[in-house]
Amino acid sequence: MLKIAHNITDVKTGGIALRGVRKRYGGAVAVDGVSLDISPGEFVSLLGPSGSGKTTTLMMIAGFETPDTGQILLDGKDITRLPPHRRELGIIFQNYALFPHMTVADNVAYPLRMRRMPKAEVKSRVDRVLEQVQLGALADRYPHQMSGGQQQRVAIARALVFDPPVLLLDEPLGALDKKLRQHLRAEIKALHKEVGKTMIYVTHDQEEALAMSDRVAVMHEGRIRQASSPRDIYSRPAELFVASFVGEANLIPVKLKGGVAYSPDGARLEATQWDGDDAEAMLCVRPEHVRLKLAGVGAAPGLHGAVVDSTFVGDATVIECETSSGLRLTSKVLNQPGNPVPSVGSSCVLSWAQTDATILTQ
Amino acid sequence: MAGKMISLATNAAAEASRPPPRVRPTGWAWLLLPGSIFLTVLFVMPLLGLLLLSLGMPDWTLAHFLRIGDSPAYATVLGTTLEISLSVTALAFVFGYPIAYVLTTGGPTLRTFLLIAVVLPYFTSVLARTFAWIVLLGRGGVINEILLQLGLVSQPVTMLYNRVGVIIGMTHIIMPLMILPMSTVMSSIDQRLLRAARASGASSLAAFLTIFLPLSLPGVIAGVLLVFIYCLGFYITPALLGGLSDLTITMEISAQVVDRLNWNFGAALSMVLLVGVLAILWIGSRFFPIEQLLGFSDGKSGSDAAPRRQLGTRWLMHVGSAANTLDRWLPSMGGRGVVILASFLAVLLLLPVLIVAYLSFSSSPYFVFPVPGYSLGNYQAYLSDTLWMSATFASIRVALMAAGMATVLGAMLAFGLSRGRIRGRSAIVALVLSPIIMPTVIVAVATYFLLVRVGLQGTEFGLALGHAVHAIPFVVVIVVANLRDLNPAYERAARSLGAGPLATFRTIIAPLVMPAFIVAAFFAFLTSFDDVVYVLFLGIGKVTTLPMRMWEGIKQDISPTISAVATLQMAFAAIVIIIGAVLGRRRNT
Repeated sequence: MLKIAHNITDVKTGGIALRGVRKRYGGAVAVDGVSLDISPGEFVSLLGPSGSGKTTTLMMIAGFETPDTGQILLDGKDITRLPPHRRELGIIFQNYALFPHMTVADNVAYPLRMRRMPKAEVKSRVDRVLEQVQLGALADRYPHQMSGGQQQRVAIARALVFDPPVLLLDEPLGALDKKLRQHLRAEIKALHKEVGKTMIYVTHDQEEALAMSDRVAVMHEGRIRQASSPRDIYSRPAELFVASFVGEANLIPVKLKGGVAYSPDGARLEATQWDGDDAEAMLCVRPEHVRLKLAGVGAAPGLHGAVVDSTFVGDATVIECETSSGLRLTSKVLNQPGNPVPSVGSSCVLSWAQTDATILTQ
Repeated sequence: MAGKMISLATNAAAEASRPPPRVRPTGWAWLLLPGSIFLTVLFVMPLLGLLLLSLGMPDWTLAHFLRIGDSPAYATVLGTTLEISLSVTALAFVFGYPIAYVLTTGGPTLRTFLLIAVVLPYFTSVLARTFAWIVLLGRGGVINEILLQLGLVSQPVTMLYNRVGVIIGMTHIIMPLMILPMSTVMSSIDQRLLRAARASGASSLAAFLTIFLPLSLPGVIAGVLLVFIYCLGFYITPALLGGLSDLTITMEISAQVVDRLNWNFGAALSMVLLVGVLAILWIGSRFFPIEQLLGFSDGKSGSDAAPRRQLGTRWLMHVGSAANTLDRWLPSMGGRGVVILASFLAVLLLLPVLIVAYLSFSSSPYFVFPVPGYSLGNYQAYLSDTLWMSATFASIRVALMAAGMATVLGAMLAFGLSRGRIRGRSAIVALVLSPIIMPTVIVAVATYFLLVRVGLQGTEFGLALGHAVHAIPFVVVIVVANLRDLNPAYERAARSLGAGPLATFRTIIAPLVMPAFIVAAFFAFLTSFDDVVYVLFLGIGKVTTLPMRMWEGIKQDISPTISAVATLQMAFAAIVIIIGAVLGRRRNT
């Protein structure tokens, strides 16, 4: 694990604010009015599919792109038009962008030399930070002589050595295999705990975003669709895109009448209370929240249907059912003693708790 | 025309890191045989003959080499050659670097413009471009006329038939050779490295000096080497633009062999030039893989092959941090300035050929600028002149023969090199690529001696043989680059679906590589069609091709008909570029 000492001289620095930031390339709008407040020390992920504007947003914070309109503030100071080398932000790039013609020590010394720090201090700082990332013995190696995990540590050391209040991470785990990703994910999370710096993390991997962040901002077509805690994003998606992009979801078209949801054939469905007007909407239920009972074991309330497919996925079984009204619903049942494993064709009853079904109007 | 294919290989360089395709060993290797024999007979043997001739065969002696050493006249010739080559290389680097830089880092529109500005002159024949400089630099030329009209000078400035003219003309003609290898290397530099430097607190100037410049050094070395070698063996431009005191070694070789029939001494001079070039290549190969310099990269050589030496990082850091302080004082003008400079230089690169095209439509029999009126007179004169026409047809016949031989043999070599793993493969690569890196004059002289012995000197077929040797490397480079994209899995899939070897070739391989064959054939045709050096030796007095007729025309009187011919050559080159681009795009989509 990484051990990086930090200066808790001023924990309050490192707040980033985006105010109505917009960026277009030619005719295409890449970022369409993004506003987000990130508090000092917070770990925020920008999550979205490719082309959602998350990387452009990060590059505008870093200073490599200039917004057409809107403002970017660092601790209340407008940095929208400040060139990147004056911003004092640490960036960890995809594939790390380590300078191939410089040794590890020179890579890490680079930011300090550019700041014209005295040689002796450069050396002691570099030695210290390399010790902290456990690369002290490899200081004279070149980047291409190192493993992916070691390269990430060099990148971290280089981004931290000048003690920036904010770290920007641009899909740093993008190109690695699954085992290493999980390991490095843990390292980054531990690093955040250690140094307490603000971290803005761009990824298209929902698992990564949910596992690491204090807050996840889901982006789609240049806008932030929802920014909340990972738990909220998953269990209370604010809109259809978030529900379908993050995790698996059963989406059932419903009619809302008097605050109650009805299926297309008029059956009443359990759902959270709806306070709005009558409308057409979607009901979102996660597969693991769909309870499945075999028919005939008492008259259970719920939707009646039949099992059409059953897939074993290791820790659980994913069962697909078709209700009598023609809806397709998926239920995920943990493979535990006592849980039913119905065969294809058997009749079943599907139900869920009221609080597990979210109504989405768009 | 050495290294013409570098431009086409730039795309391929990006894919160079892909592992080489798995191959079935022996079968394909047989394809190497015909081309290797052809090159051995028409390239290796003539050069060996040249060596023997220089040693006085059959009366062995070192007298000819001693004579070169003794006579101060030849020391002067060697000195002049080195002086011109060094100045041209230095100038081409200074002007070429900013163009290459913007060519790889600029926006898409700017890049397209720069690419055209580099590639169009590059594909236009050296003779046409040299002619452009005669029209521009002469006493009554375009530049003097403009200077006089502006009142900047009272008398015409002498810029032609002296050192100034040679250096201007050669630098202009050589620029693409400097720019293309540099931009190939530059485009492999990850732009994120520069962003990482900026994020670490480096100003854009400091980031350039500490990151981009050192990483582009392999390209700089490649470009400088290529240009220097090419300058040493340059014949056409110094012969046409230089004065009496600008005699270079190639002119001396030509004079000894053709005018004075002093074969042994001419061969000795050729050996001196050849050894010089080989020595430079040997030194260069320690910094940069030579075959990659010619656009021949077949999988195993990627950007990692570039040297990663300790480039005095301490020193770099000093430069960088100094540049960073400068940033506090200077307004950030850097980016814009480089773009404007590169665009200006690119316009200069295009201008000479464009001016010739413009003047070719003049109604005046003289090169008056601006033209008094427009007319197609020059084109009519060209089309109605039987000498020009018969020269054109001779060129077409020779080029068709040469392109036919080069395409068939080159394609077989390319397949053999890509698919057949045999021992001594690198020796064959060296053999195949050598004809374009050796000075054309030397190869032409050597071939001349061989063809005279077998009675083929002065025949169109003999000339086509020489041109085919020169065109084969281009064909191989183009086809190899395309075969890399031809995944052997397609062929295996076809075989598993019931296609026999022949059906697989007909239905899978042929359609996929056909565009490359067509481009390669056009290229081979163009190399032959534009050549004048081989004709001067292999066809002298007997075969008059179009460039030969132009050469004579330029030496006798600078007739405006030549401007029409040069313009047509340029148009033809443009058509070849467009065909290449269209076929390349269709394949990629």
